[in-house]
Amino acid sequence: MKLSARKLALPSVILVFGCAVAALAEESTNPAGLSEQDVQAKIQFCTYCHQPSGQGFMAGAYPIPRLAGQQSEYFKNQLQAFIDRRRVNVFMFEVAHSLSPEMLTALATHFRDLNPKPLGGAPTELVATGKKIFQEGVPDAKVPACATCHGPEAKGNGQFPRLAGQLYPYIVKVLTNFDQERGQGGPANPDTSAIMKPIAHNLTESQIAAVAAYLSYLE
Amino acid sequence: MKSSFQLALPVAILAIVFSGVGRAADTSHPALSEGDLQAKIQYCTYCHQPSGQGYVGASPIPRLAGQQTEYFKNQLQAFIDRRRVNVFMFKVAHSLNPDMLPSLAEHINELNPKPAAAGPSELVDEGKKIFEGGVPEANIPACAVCHGLEARGKGPVPRLAGQIYPYIIKVLQNWGKERGQDPAHPDTSAIMEPVAHGLNDSQIKAVAAYLSSLE
Repeated sequence: MKLSARKLALPSVILVFGCAVAALAEESTNPAGLSEQDVQAKIQFCTYCHQPSGQGFMAGAYPIPRLAGQQSEYFKNQLQAFIDRRRVNVFMFEVAHSLSPEMLTALATHFRDLNPKPLGGAPTELVATGKKIFQEGVPDAKVPACATCHGPEAKGNGQFPRLAGQLYPYIVKVLTNFDQERGQGGPANPDTSAIMKPIAHNLTESQIAAVAAYLSYLE
Repeated sequence: MKSSFQLALPVAILAIVFSGVGRAADTSHPALSEGDLQAKIQYCTYCHQPSGQGYVGASPIPRLAGQQTEYFKNQLQAFIDRRRVNVFMFKVAHSLNPDMLPSLAEHINELNPKPAAAGPSELVDEGKKIFEGGVPEANIPACAVCHGLEARGKGPVPRLAGQIYPYIIKVLQNWGKERGQDPAHPDTSAIMEPVAHGLNDSQIKAVAAYLSSLE
């Protein structure tokens, strides 16, 4: 039987079309619907405040946290918490609420892979005390060792955030104001922030400063 | 016993030597007196006004009152170094005794007059939205993140509250032409470049109207 051009036409079209789609799919490393340009534009937006290497910013009115090297699960959880208003921050809600789940993943991946040096600047005389608290906790105050969940090098794990290299004034602010900012979803929407509440409560001001100083120098 | 005449030469030598030692410790500029400082303040306020509130003349003259001392000193240094370009301010700045900068900065920081030149009130609501929320669609962050929700600034980040309406507009519209003018020495003005560029004219006017109304 002779194969006519006509008989080959449809299968050919399907083959070419299929290959083209496959090629396009392989080109993009981003989830469906997200262009590389969108992601780059959004990264640029984040880094206006969080800085090009995601190292955070201390010189303005409010300390802007380091994002570099952050655990991607924790990163995505926080952005979702801002969207759901379980975590309250006037600026971050504006930023987060327009982000798609695919964009959250792309951003988390980008920031996770950054590794600038910590900004430092904390009082060095507090570091030794802070290290002790991080590694041993404060048993009298029922504060467990931070390292238990955050890891011995404070790099975090999954939903437990990396703390290494985080900004000193930011850590102080977060631990001091934990209740006012986190877990704002009410009894109907508890979240993982609850685990830190008693710890943030039980640490004294000077313990908070010490552990914040220690963490802010870790690479 | 030596007569006073015979003591004269050794005393004179001692006097010369010790006064020389005193001057060796001196910097290249003469010592600062309260009179010098007051005279300089009066000079600044010819343009910037007695309470530092600024003035709308042929060019808008910015409010200095309540300005962050670090930012204030940085700007004067930028004028001296020609990283920030302004024909009037270069002349003013480069003749300043550097020892005077901290005192000027402190003086100005403590002034607190009412805003002198607020913009159109109908633009204030939109300006507040931009100031507090940015323009996410244009990837412009909220100004308040660095300038503070009350626009008082901090350290190297300037106070904007009560700034002169046409001055804010001029600055935002001309950012790249006036700031960061020494490519060999990039400075902190670079952080505002994308923001100034990204805002359109009506957004600039709105945020300027809001800020110029703040106390």
